[in-house]
Amino acid sequence: METNRRQAAPVSVDVPLLSNQDVWMNIALIKQYHENMPRSQAEYIVLNALQRLDLTHIANKRNPSLTNEERFCVLLLRACMVRDALIMIDRPFKIIPHLQDINFIFKTLKKIDDFYATCHIYDYKWMADKYGEL
Amino acid sequence: MLGYIIIIEENWLMNVLENIGRLEVKTANSFIDTISFARKVILRMFQYRTYNSAMRMVLINQIYFTSVQILPVFLLASIVLGSLLIGIVFQLLKQLGLTDYFGNVLMGLIVTELSPFFTVLFITLRSASAINTEMAVMKVNGEIKTLETFRIDVINYLLIPRIINGIVSLVLLSSLFSIVLMFSGILFSWVIFGISMDVYINILLNSANFSDMVIALIKCAVFGFFITLIPIRFGLRASHEFTSIPIVVSGGMVSVFTAIIIIEVLSLVTKLF
Repeated sequence: METNRRQAAPVSVDVPLLSNQDVWMNIALIKQYHENMPRSQAEYIVLNALQRLDLTHIANKRNPSLTNEERFCVLLLRACMVRDALIMIDRPFKIIPHLQDINFIFKTLKKIDDFYATCHIYDYKWMADKYGEL
Repeated sequence: MLGYIIIIEENWLMNVLENIGRLEVKTANSFIDTISFARKVILRMFQYRTYNSAMRMVLINQIYFTSVQILPVFLLASIVLGSLLIGIVFQLLKQLGLTDYFGNVLMGLIVTELSPFFTVLFITLRSASAINTEMAVMKVNGEIKTLETFRIDVINYLLIPRIINGIVSLVLLSSLFSIVLMFSGILFSWVIFGISMDVYINILLNSANFSDMVIALIKCAVFGFFITLIPIRFGLRASHEFTSIPIVVSGGMVSVFTAIIIIEVLSLVTKLF
């Protein structure tokens, strides 16, 4: 139970990014705090991760200037920085309200599938249409 | 009729006394809370594991924002205010025929008393208010909850770097202000008293009291500790509504200024013994 708690990595609008930190700092924070990873090493890992999602250009931006898609990707990458992350995506359509279906989220998860152990998506039953035939 | 008036007056008196008592209890509780929280923070400051990579990065950023970014404005203010102060004090000493005491006045009053006071006011207005607002906004936005969710200790990550920064900045900037004042003193002592630089330095060295300097540095460190601790505590008291931000910020700033006065009085009492 304790191990699972340590691996828990939520992606949710209720767990926002720190607004006084750049994108890369928000993602690197987990590694720097829990693994005492030096700043340069953490920055390198984060920039590589952002590159996987073609988002290197947002590394020095802050939360308010991100689009919904960019914000979701940053929340996801931050969650992936947890060691053996058990990612829990909470109501993805609340993070990206204009999304028509789940494809964008699945594609993003696929690009970084080596970063996490498992991923669970939680949503209301009435949102089932958005998920299609899973 | 008379009995009725007496009852009303007794009730009124009781209400006043109850209100005073309630205020006293509230103030005492708040004071005890702040002191016990300060104790907790000091203990954490001496733990090795507090100083991880993330905390160190925040500390460096904070020192940059508080001590380095402020330098041009602070230096300008120090030169203007310091020269004005030195000029007025030296002129007054000359008029009163107290020229022999100018070294004692410069070291005992201006360097050890006014420098820390001026610096703490400057840093409080610029950084303490910013820290108070920053914490309140983080609380309202749910960013504190984010840190807790990812098992990041709020005291280690947010509080300790800001408090260490407060201590370091206050000590360094106050010393800088003192240096600027002493350099202004060279000019004014030459213009007003006709004293050469060698004689001026000699007078300063003879007037310097080691214990006063140590008390001044300790006072700066205590100022730095409380002008960051109190705004953080008040900022974290914000609720989840934006309307709570101005309330906690104004409350925090009033408490910071009260703390400054208390520390100033305590340092004067310490000097007496």
